[in-house]
Amino acid sequence: MTTPVDEQAGVDREEYSRTAFGLALSIDQRISIPGLGHNPASVAADLPSRIHLDPAALNQRWDTVTATPFRARELRFGETLLMSVDFAEPAGYLLWARDFGRVLISIDGMELLCDPDPAVEDWANILAFQALPLAATIRGLEVLHASGVVLDGRAILLAGPPGAGKSSLAAALVRAGGQLLSDDAVALELSDGALIAHPGSTALQLRSAENQRLSAKERAMLGHTIGSVADKQRYVSASTPEPVALGSVFLLERSDDEPAVERIAAVDPFELIASTFNLSVRTPARLLRQLDVVSTIADRGLAHRLRVQSSIDATQLASIIKAHLGVAIS
Amino acid sequence: MPEKRVDTPVMPQLSDEELLEARARLPQHVVHRSFVAETVVLNLRTGKYHGLNPTAGKMLEALEAAPTIGAAVPMLASEYGLEQERIQSDLLALTRGLLERGLIETVDDDAG
Repeated sequence: MTTPVDEQAGVDREEYSRTAFGLALSIDQRISIPGLGHNPASVAADLPSRIHLDPAALNQRWDTVTATPFRARELRFGETLLMSVDFAEPAGYLLWARDFGRVLISIDGMELLCDPDPAVEDWANILAFQALPLAATIRGLEVLHASGVVLDGRAILLAGPPGAGKSSLAAALVRAGGQLLSDDAVALELSDGALIAHPGSTALQLRSAENQRLSAKERAMLGHTIGSVADKQRYVSASTPEPVALGSVFLLERSDDEPAVERIAAVDPFELIASTFNLSVRTPARLLRQLDVVSTIADRGLAHRLRVQSSIDATQLASIIKAHLGVAIS
Repeated sequence: MPEKRVDTPVMPQLSDEELLEARARLPQHVVHRSFVAETVVLNLRTGKYHGLNPTAGKMLEALEAAPTIGAAVPMLASEYGLEQERIQSDLLALTRGLLERGLIETVDDDAG
């Protein structure tokens, strides 16, 4: 159970350890983030990033900023601001999301101070969906906005615009024998020319319509339920996979034609760059890493196009992917 | 003691003849990666991406490899089977475009 703002800000608290997005995490006991891993040996960065519930420290840190913060990113729906990221030295990146609250991520990604909206019980979702991917980006990983599944010992990533069916397809691949790597974002580590995919949060959000089509047995394969958000049912996997080599990146594209999958011979680098998760971090090191990751995906022939119709269901698409990859269909 | 400079950056307002005699190089804050249908040139200082078509990408590689811009002309003419005059015209146009965007710089090896 997550707890809203505590009045005893600044008091040392018990912490527990988890791993996600290639980072070791040391988390304030009062913060619950579902779907994180427990494998410190698998992280890309040795020292843990610490996550604390401490609005007072956040305010104090942000108050040290004297220059006008740089608005690195904002997300709007019409005129309504839904999310923003402001950057200012020496404080770092201040992430704000409507109905969640604020998280200040230090300039080195080692500390995350949280100031949640006290009325929102599941505010900690912002950590898994936004703050941790941002911290991972700062700390040297490249995060793709994609669902990920481990299939035949390799990471299969599903990227595409919102509503393209990434989560539904990931769930179908899990039901077909895969293991969920992450629902929304996967951290990639470029090491000696190879790409390693690190699990994010294995909390999966499935649209109610899709969820209702599943049998009880199929739902059980997705893990146990942890409530719902908007019109989506949330599941969390019983276990988190180890980091694995990146096998394929499928770029989902809506089409009226028959569903088709093909390896992309001439990758549009900007399409892949657009699939990277966080554009708030614009340091030279990050920009170079981002280009190198995209270049590696292209050079190794890992990018595929998957054209999907709205009428075709995720189970059929999962079969198409497995057949394309030559994976035995269970 | 300061390190001796062996290359002297020169201003890009050069005649065609002067440009052909100069050597082109990428500044340290500019990187490029080749893809099948495009070469991406990234200015790490500004965060701005630039796309070059495959022919322009080859020209950029030739500019980097050749001792002078003029020396890149026969290399490219041979590769594409075209007359040197046409290659030279295209290469000079590309070079000026890259110089204007700060994606390459010219150096005079004889200076300094």
